[in-house]
Amino acid sequence: MPSAIDASPRSQTGQSGVVAQRRRQAWNYVAVLALVAVLAAGPVVVTNSYYRYAGVLMVMYMVMATSWNLVGGFTGYVSLGHAAFFGFGAYCTGIIANESRTSVILALLATVGICAVVGAVIGIVALRVRGSSFVIVTIALVYMGSLLAQGLRSLTGGSGGLDVAGLYSFSGRAARHAAYIVTFAVLLGVVMWLWNFIDGTKFGMGLKAVREDEDRAQSLGVNTTAFKVVAFALSATFVGSAGGIYATWTGFIDPIFVFSVQISAQLVLMSLLGGTRSLWGPVLGAAIIVPSSEFFLVNLPEYHLVTMGVMLGAVVLLMPNGIIATLRRLWVRRRAPAASIREVAGAVGA
Amino acid sequence: MTRSLFIQSVVFGILSGGVYALLASGLSLYFGVMRIVQIAHPAFLFLGAYLTYSLHNRFDIDPLLTMPITVPLFFVTGMAIQRLLLARLRDENAAMMSVLLTFAIAVVVEGGLSAVYTGSYRSIDVEYAKKAFDWFGVRIPRDRVIGLVVAGATLMLLFAVLRYSRYGRSLRATMQHPEAARLVGVETERVRAIGFGIGMATAAVGGAVLSIITTFFPSGHWEWIARLMAIIVVGGLGSVGGAAVAAFVLGIIEAVVQSWLSPVWAGMVFYLFLFVTLIFRPQGFFGGRLAQRY
Amino acid sequence: MSLAVRGLTKQFGGVVALDDATVDFVPGAINGLIGPNGSGKTTLFNIVTGLIPTDAGEVTFAGRPITGMAPYRIARAGIGRTFQVVRAFDRMTVLENVLVAERRSGLRELIRSAIRGSEVDRAMDWLRQVGLDHLADADAADISYGQKKLLELAAILMTDPSLVMLDEPAGGVNPVMIERISDLIRVANANGRTIVIVEHNMEMVMSLCDHVVVFDRGRPIASGAPDTIQSDERVLEAYLGV
Repeated sequence: MPSAIDASPRSQTGQSGVVAQRRRQAWNYVAVLALVAVLAAGPVVVTNSYYRYAGVLMVMYMVMATSWNLVGGFTGYVSLGHAAFFGFGAYCTGIIANESRTSVILALLATVGICAVVGAVIGIVALRVRGSSFVIVTIALVYMGSLLAQGLRSLTGGSGGLDVAGLYSFSGRAARHAAYIVTFAVLLGVVMWLWNFIDGTKFGMGLKAVREDEDRAQSLGVNTTAFKVVAFALSATFVGSAGGIYATWTGFIDPIFVFSVQISAQLVLMSLLGGTRSLWGPVLGAAIIVPSSEFFLVNLPEYHLVTMGVMLGAVVLLMPNGIIATLRRLWVRRRAPAASIREVAGAVGA
Repeated sequence: MTRSLFIQSVVFGILSGGVYALLASGLSLYFGVMRIVQIAHPAFLFLGAYLTYSLHNRFDIDPLLTMPITVPLFFVTGMAIQRLLLARLRDENAAMMSVLLTFAIAVVVEGGLSAVYTGSYRSIDVEYAKKAFDWFGVRIPRDRVIGLVVAGATLMLLFAVLRYSRYGRSLRATMQHPEAARLVGVETERVRAIGFGIGMATAAVGGAVLSIITTFFPSGHWEWIARLMAIIVVGGLGSVGGAAVAAFVLGIIEAVVQSWLSPVWAGMVFYLFLFVTLIFRPQGFFGGRLAQRY
Repeated sequence: MSLAVRGLTKQFGGVVALDDATVDFVPGAINGLIGPNGSGKTTLFNIVTGLIPTDAGEVTFAGRPITGMAPYRIARAGIGRTFQVVRAFDRMTVLENVLVAERRSGLRELIRSAIRGSEVDRAMDWLRQVGLDHLADADAADISYGQKKLLELAAILMTDPSLVMLDEPAGGVNPVMIERISDLIRVANANGRTIVIVEHNMEMVMSLCDHVVVFDRGRPIASGAPDTIQSDERVLEAYLGV
């Protein structure tokens, strides 16, 4: 067992860690704004229509991976079912816009609210189980969505899919892609700010306690059920909104495509790869995976699935903490070369 | 719905239930042995079906007679996967990470299948299986009966091994209390590896059966995993018998709904039961006390 | 604050963990709960704190029935407990481990910063009491087993409980640490908190407890002052299996 650490004078007050965390959080808010600005300005530099298309995908996945991480990163519950909310949001927007002849924007706004409610209801049921059981349940969600979309033909257009009007009336495809990059970038800013905000609140601390030891958290007075459901509902809302925007972007919803476990798996892979315990992990993961995935789809389509599977397996086995956490550890080790036994033992055990 | 159609559906459901039961019990075995949910189980089922298909087409071997080849192959592969991959997970989150790892394996298997066989639907037609029995006006497809017989025989063999063999006792000891088992000399690592191998072997059997009763395509396994998972949750994680009972019950209900409404709603049966179980009895109807915590 | 347990029964498959157990713990005192392994002590703890449901019987705390209440509500009602194998939130700091504790909170509380001055001060006070204040920024994973025990104690005291339930607080730690923990228990008791300890360390039980309850095979078989219990025939029988 590691022995007690050398006490550093500053930590005597217990405030140094607190101050450092507050500073890091404030910095994150600014950095997120910078990221959004960079992404939104991207189309100025990138004029090729296909690259812009890939850009829309990338930013969209950044949004969804970060949203996934509201549950996965904080509570430790791994959902392989977020594709269900993606599809649900897409159909919500499409159906409302088509059936009620309202503008697409109103349909999107309605989708946000509906996804929040549906997310909460599903969360209440699904979060009654933990661990692997929870994962199973979320997979089932995706298939329920797929079946419903195909079964309620009069509402959803069945297996044939659903046409949806666009959000913007730009004529050229390249211009439309640019508009959607900006749209998703703004949504990304919102969800990242939310993640960062939660990270510093008592609510966030309670969620992290759920991840560490749910029973103990309960015995310390944390209402773990309510906390989990809220996080789940927030996560579902953002993924659903992304789905809705996606529907207006492509103009068409294919039930087999949107309700696929592959999409869920990609969100998990991106967050794991980048690091689930960091604000930037999912974004980093998406930035790596989406371009790679597109590359494979275009050049080596037969190997796309195998590659994704191998990557996920490799991350799980070799780097389960993700890139950012691994880099942090290396950084810490470099800064303190005369490591005490505790540190080495601690780093190895981390 | 007419009475004869109803009886027809029930019979059909029993036949499907048998196959579901075989596969679900394999899944329960994985859970009991290693506390992991082997998401890749149906993927290997499909791999088995494709292998049977290839062996049948290339060498003209009867699908059921490919089992002497595929079963040992899968057994060894299962042991290898457990030893080389799953045993490497030593983490607090091992249960969760193993789900992701088996998920990754499933994706790799599917990717391999679609690269080699492409996405087109395949199936095997064998003469003796194409007809149907007629039993008091009820039409019973022969291929399904064969499926039930093979599945049933395998299940009974599995239960016999678990109950009466020395290995079965070691396995049950390891499932219940690994440390205590180790203390009395059980080599738990080896037991786990063999257990995994047996699970995979049941996938090989299931694959051979699947190849003659239905068409298959690479991404079809996801539908199966969702259904099998629903069966396991309803029956109760860790309860092999419970999974079998749930498999038959849900199989029958699915078949009836399919005749009555449509295949789409038939699929929903599994998920509805899953959610109802979660709401009212999360540990399943026959499950152990802390089943839902895994 | 009085804790009363009436007719608790719990079965796990074929094993009867609790068999119609009825116990009254003495309020304001340090109660010991002893008995051979498997006699139902931890199961009793788990049922009282709401972690598992009981098959039959009820639990009353300060006159209110709390049987089957959600664990977090029971914690907020004033019951704190530690676990047999020490548990800490490994990937959070020592300070955060204490800050997580919640006594009461509405929506406004939850969305405020977790690391507000007043809360931090209170947490640091507790850490100082148990002697862990110099480790406030360390990850809980990096401190020793004994220190984690102290951390657990500090965390539940942060919830300001009127009843503290400790499951084998002396398990797996050296005698110096046992002394330290005993002192902390005495101080907590002096501050008006009722204590219930499950312990196998007889020395600690005899020196610390005012009242002892002995369990065997799922029910109490004797209760009273430590010296009376020590010489009780039934107790000796239960422990030695004679």
